[in-house]
Amino acid sequence: MTTIVEGRHLTREFPMPAGPVVALRDVSIEINPGAYVAVTGPSGCGKSTLLHLLGCVDAPTDGSLLFEGRDVARLTDSERSRIRLTRIGFVFQRFFLMPMLSAWENVELPQAEIGIRPADRRARTRELLEYVDLIDRGHHRPSQLSGGEMQRVAIARALANRPALLLADEPTGELDEDTGEQVADLFDRVHADGTAIVVVTHNPVLATRAERRLMMKRGTVVHS
Amino acid sequence: MTSRALAWRTVAASPARALLAVAGVAVIGALLFDMLLLSHGLLISFRDLLDSAGYDVRVIASDDPPAARIPITHADALIADISRLPEVQEIAAVRWDRALAIVSGRPAEGVTLISATVGAERKAWRIINGENLVAAGGTREPPPLVVSMRFAEALGLKVGSALGMRTTMFGAASAIPPVMFRVVGVAEFDFEPPGDLMAATTIDAFRRVHAGRGQDNADVVVIASRPPFGPDDAVTAINHLRPDLHAYSNAQLVTHFDQNGFAYFRQISFVLSSVTLGFAFLLIATLLTMSVNQRLSEMAALRALGFPRRRIVATLLWESTMLVGVGGLLALPLGGLLAFELDHILRAMPGIPERLHFFVLEPRAVVLHVGLLAATGLGAAAYPIWVAARLPIAATLRRETVS
Ligand SMILES: Nc1ncnc2c1ncn2[C@@H]1O[C@H](COP(=O)(O)OP(=O)(O)OP(=O)(O)O)[C@@H](O)[C@H]1O
Ligand SMILES: [Mg+2]
Repeated sequence: MTTIVEGRHLTREFPMPAGPVVALRDVSIEINPGAYVAVTGPSGCGKSTLLHLLGCVDAPTDGSLLFEGRDVARLTDSERSRIRLTRIGFVFQRFFLMPMLSAWENVELPQAEIGIRPADRRARTRELLEYVDLIDRGHHRPSQLSGGEMQRVAIARALANRPALLLADEPTGELDEDTGEQVADLFDRVHADGTAIVVVTHNPVLATRAERRLMMKRGTVVHS
Repeated sequence: MTSRALAWRTVAASPARALLAVAGVAVIGALLFDMLLLSHGLLISFRDLLDSAGYDVRVIASDDPPAARIPITHADALIADISRLPEVQEIAAVRWDRALAIVSGRPAEGVTLISATVGAERKAWRIINGENLVAAGGTREPPPLVVSMRFAEALGLKVGSALGMRTTMFGAASAIPPVMFRVVGVAEFDFEPPGDLMAATTIDAFRRVHAGRGQDNADVVVIASRPPFGPDDAVTAINHLRPDLHAYSNAQLVTHFDQNGFAYFRQISFVLSSVTLGFAFLLIATLLTMSVNQRLSEMAALRALGFPRRRIVATLLWESTMLVGVGGLLALPLGGLLAFELDHILRAMPGIPERLHFFVLEPRAVVLHVGLLAATGLGAAAYPIWVAARLPIAATLRRETVS
């Protein structure tokens, strides 16, 4: 069983006029297949920064990151894009669905990008929208959906290409308690189906569902 | 979903923005198109006008074609000499001058009276009503006159009417009695300026109106070269025969006008089309940049989902192509209409021959219009595309979440 992503001594500094901000300081982390990790901690402690590094959308200023054994720093931009497209699913606090596309098209989008045939794409999209219980809302635009519904579409989109790793940054941040719980339930199912999850959250309900909790403080993991 | 489909959905999602962009490009494009038509229109229509007269060489006394006329003297001998050249097939002398048309019961009217030797008349005007000078017989009394339609209308003349003509030459007007003419035909004159009235008569009658002065003069001698010789051969031969005169082929005249009188239009059109392109550039760049700035979160999300840079670039290029393409296409009929109106206005200036146009549609202008707009669209899209392609994914996601 190979590790999906492994960060060694990750440090991320942001150069600022008043001196660099160290968002992440010497963090080592390993995410294995099927893991379910919740990252918690006070605002500004570096949770999102860590998630962005794991998701290959940002690069550490120090330390190294291996994704399925490959050193991410040595990859080209398009190789990193390819990893994100095929191996990682992203769920954002603000959903970031394409507003001009229907829920169905949003879920089809990443599949089309890796060249899945239309018939297979339709079957997979149907399956995913059934999975998140929105099959009857497929033709609706994001603006016609509630926050919880949008987040479920976003989760379906993140799972579209059967990623090994699902990364979520405050996925319940914009949702009320009940809706947040629906999302938490959905994550449980995703986890049960074998997808590794790393979720950054302030939501205790969601955090307690994880198998492993990382507490962060001022750029470091203080408790695991 | 292809980049084109994604671009189309983006465009269709904000119809107001798309309409504004298309309308803006259409209006600016129409101006650009008009400037391109103007840059060559006068030349093309001048060339057509020269060619349509059926002569390809013109001989004049001055070495500066647009300058004030100097008459060619001893025209009869000149014509006899030139017509013996093997390069020459047809030759005619043309004279014109201002004259006063006198119809009883009406105030005298200033007109242009032209005359051409036999054979030339069939090319400079087309009979609409009545008959031509030759058919009417050059020797009958009173001498025949072909008038333009406007002439006939202004002075209430029809075929068979009688009128007098008198030279307007200073001092001579009172001394020389008017010559009486009979209208034999009403015609369309190719070179009649909108503000002028034209009439044509025989060389003999013309000389009588100008009794005693410059009897053997011609203002221009027109020549049709004989195949297989071309106009250039004829020009060389004539210039060799009479180095004191100046022969020009139609092409040389067009070039001469292009470098002198008409260069003015080309320069104006160059400056205005550059300004217009600048406007098009700013409009497209502004609209696309604003659109990209509004969609940074979308683009960062697409990138996080694994869309490569080139996809973002391709989508934006398609978006620009759609807006500029539709606007640019609409610009063609719009510009055509505008050119028609502007041509109308410009042609109302006094002294512009009937068949001379400032705006002339030519394939070259359409190709140039499409090429320039495409290049401008690409150039204008460059900055927003650069912004989108260089987007720092993590920082943008963070900013778009926090804000
Ligand atoms: N692009 C950036 N430029 C400058 N500073 C940054 C940037 N991204 C993050 N930081 C800084 O790094 C630190 C950690 O930020 P991060 O977003 O990871 O915190 P967080 O734990 O996710 O906070 P929150 O719970 O509020 O989302 C903060 O001090 C933040 O200001
Ligand atoms: Mg955060």
